[in-house]
Amino acid sequence: MNCKYIMIILGFFVLANTFHLPASQGLSLFYNSQESTASAAPFSQKKFLPNISFILDFSYVRRDLNQDLFNALEIPGFIHGHTHHDGHSHEVANASKGFNLNYGELVLSSVVDPYFDLFTAFHLSESSFEIEEAYIESRSLPYGFRIKLGKFLSGFGRLNSQHAHYWDFTDIPLVYKVFFGDHGLLEKGIQLNWVAPADFYLGLSIECLQGTNENSFGTGDFELIEAETGEVINVERVALPNTWTFSGKTSLDTGNLTILAGISYATGKTRLDHFTDEESPHGFSGDSSILGVDFTAKYLLGSYTYLALQGEYLYRYLRGSRFLVHEAGESPGSQKEQEEHEHEDALEVDSAPMVKKQAGFYSQSVFRFHRQWRLGARWDRLNKNDVTLAGTLLDLPGQLNRYSVMVDFSPTEFSRIRLQYNYNGYAFHEGERKKYREFVLQFNLAIGAHGAHAF
Amino acid sequence: MLMLYCLSVSGFGKIKVVTSYGYIADITRRIGGDNVSVIALAAGGMDPHFITPKPSFIAKLRNADLLIINGGQLEIGWLPPVIQQANNPVINPGRAGFLSLMELVKPLDVHNEVSRAQGDVHPDGNPHIQLDPFHIPVFAKAIMERLCKLAPGKCEIFRENYTAFEKRWLEKIILWEQKLSPLKGRKVVEYHKLYDYFLQRYQIEAAGTLEPLPGIPPTSRHIAGIIDLIKKQNIALIIQDVYHSSRTARFIAGKTGIKVVIIPHDIGAVKEVTDIFSLFDEIVGRLAGS
Repeated sequence: MNCKYIMIILGFFVLANTFHLPASQGLSLFYNSQESTASAAPFSQKKFLPNISFILDFSYVRRDLNQDLFNALEIPGFIHGHTHHDGHSHEVANASKGFNLNYGELVLSSVVDPYFDLFTAFHLSESSFEIEEAYIESRSLPYGFRIKLGKFLSGFGRLNSQHAHYWDFTDIPLVYKVFFGDHGLLEKGIQLNWVAPADFYLGLSIECLQGTNENSFGTGDFELIEAETGEVINVERVALPNTWTFSGKTSLDTGNLTILAGISYATGKTRLDHFTDEESPHGFSGDSSILGVDFTAKYLLGSYTYLALQGEYLYRYLRGSRFLVHEAGESPGSQKEQEEHEHEDALEVDSAPMVKKQAGFYSQSVFRFHRQWRLGARWDRLNKNDVTLAGTLLDLPGQLNRYSVMVDFSPTEFSRIRLQYNYNGYAFHEGERKKYREFVLQFNLAIGAHGAHAF
Repeated sequence: MLMLYCLSVSGFGKIKVVTSYGYIADITRRIGGDNVSVIALAAGGMDPHFITPKPSFIAKLRNADLLIINGGQLEIGWLPPVIQQANNPVINPGRAGFLSLMELVKPLDVHNEVSRAQGDVHPDGNPHIQLDPFHIPVFAKAIMERLCKLAPGKCEIFRENYTAFEKRWLEKIILWEQKLSPLKGRKVVEYHKLYDYFLQRYQIEAAGTLEPLPGIPPTSRHIAGIIDLIKKQNIALIIQDVYHSSRTARFIAGKTGIKVVIIPHDIGAVKEVTDIFSLFDEIVGRLAGS
C-alpha cells in the first residue's frame, strides 16, 4: 500500500521534472523510453559483428596460344610447367582462355580486445576454400613495436604484402612469380615490426617463417641413392621454422611528391621434391637467399589524380645439390643392389652441385588521370639466369621480358573494370621460345565493410 | 605506459598532438598555446574523404600523445591503416590519447539503413561538421578538457585560452550573422553536401547537389535536372568546393545565369584562409559579397 503511494509520487516527480527540462532534453527522455522496446533482444550481440567483406574477381581472357601449350610452358632455370607440386589448390588467375572465375575472397576482421586485432582472409575458388591469411596482431605494445602471428603475406619487398585485388595490374610481377610463386611469399610465422621514433618514417621488420614456399624454400626430406657409387644420400628434414626475413623501409615527402624505399632479405633452406614429375624427375637440397630493393614515387596532382612510379629488383642466390633421377638400364654393379635392398624405397639419382644466381625486376608507372580512370605500363624482366651445374655454366636464356599496359575504370572505390594487354616473351616449350600476346578483361568488386589500404 | 607518456609530456613541456585536418590543428593551437606541438595530416586543399595515407603519417602518429579526428567516418578511407601501422597504443580509439569530434554534435542525415546504391553515404550522418560556427566552441571545449586530462598541471592555462577564444569567437558569430542576414531563406545548390551544417545554421536552403549521389560525379541527365530546378525555383547561387573541378558548375551557370562561388572548407583550401577565424571570415565574405 505504502509502496504504491511512493511509486505514484516518484512517477509524478519524474514527470514533473521532465517538463521542467529544456524542451529538447524532455523530448529525448520520452524518445528513449519508447525506444526501450529494443530490449526485446537483450542478449543481441549484433554490434560486435566483425567487419565482413567479400571480393570477387572474374575475367575474360584472349590469348594467341593453344591452351595445352600454355599449360606446358616453362621458364628455363626458374619454372618448369604450370604444375603445382605441393598439392594445394590455389589456382592461377586468368589461366584459361575465355571466362575465369579467378577467386572470391572473404575477409573477416575485428578488434579482439584491447590487446589484439584479428584478420582472416579466406581464398575461395570454384572447388576450394582455404585460409589465405589468418593472423593476430598486437595493438598495445609499447616503444613502437607490433607483433603479427599466424599465416600472413610476408612484409618482404613492396608488393608481397598486398592482396591481389589491390595490385595495379591483373598479374603478379614476373620476378615474384619465379621466386615466390603466383601468390607471393605466404607463410605461417611471426613478424616483429618496429617504427623508429624519428621525424621521418623508418620501419624495420623481422620475420621467422615456416619456409614452405615451393619456389625458393621448402622443408621436405628424402632418401636417395647415388647411382654411380651406390652411396646412400640422406637429405634430412630442415630445422623448423626454416626461413628468416629482414626488411627496412623509409620514406620522404617533398611537396606533393612522396618517395618510399625499402630493402629486404630472405634466407632459408631449400628442398625441392619433384621426383614424381613425368618429365626429368628431379630434386634439390640446399640454401637460398633473396635480396630485394624497392622504390616507389607518387606525385599527387590533386585529390583524385596522381602519377606513380614503382620498381623492385630481386636477386636470388641458391646453392646446393641437384638430384636427377637416374635413367633405367644404366644400373651399376652388385654392390649397389645390396645397398638398395636396405633402402627399398630410395630412388636412384645422379647428384651434382648446383649454384643459381638469378635476378629480375619490374618497373611500372601508373597515371590516375581522372577520378575513375587510370593508365599503366609495366616492364618485367628476368635479367640474370646463371645456373652452374657441376662447375659448368648452363646455356640458359638470360634476358626474359614481359611488357604490359592496362587501363582501368573504377566507378567507385568498390568496383573496378580493367583491360590489360601483355606481350610475353619469357616462356619456353621444349627449348623453344614461345612468344604470345594476351588480353585480360578483369572485373573486381567488393562488398561489405572492407578496410582502407595502406600507401 | 600512460604514466610514462605523462612523464614525457611534463619532461619536454609539449604535448604532441596530431590532427586529421587543419581546422582541428588550429583550434588545438589556440587552446594549447606553447604547451602543445600540433601537426595536421591532411593538406587543406584536398578532398577530406580522399587523403593519400603517406608513410610520413606513420612517423607522426608514432610519436603522438594525442590524435584528434573529425570522425563520422570522414577518415575511414585513409586513417585506419596509418594508425594501425604507427604502433602507438596511446592513440588507439577509446584511449585518452584519442578524440573524435563528431560525437560532440547533433549530426544531420543519420541513416539507419544504408546501401552503397545511395553512393558514398555515411551511416553516422553528414560528417562535415566543422562548417557550423556554433560547433567550433564545442570542439574547443572538448579539446581543452582533453588537454587538461593529459597535462593537469597546465589545465589553468588551457582554460584561460579557451575562455579567451570563446569570447572572441562569439563576437565574430554576431558579426557573421549580420553579414549573412540577406541570404536568409534563399536557396542554393552545392556540389557535395559539404556545407549543410553552415547552410542550416543560417537558414539558407540546400536545394540540390551537382552530384547525383554522394561521391558520384555529375552525369548529364542529373545536370539537366539541376538546370531545370534552378530555372523553376529561385536559386541564388551554386556553391562549389576547391577540390572538385568547377567545370560543371560553370557550365550550369552559363545556362542559367546564376553565380558560382568557391567556398573553402578547411584551412589552406584557399590562400586567404590561414586559421579558423579567416576560414569563416572568408566563407561569409564570399557568400555575402555574391
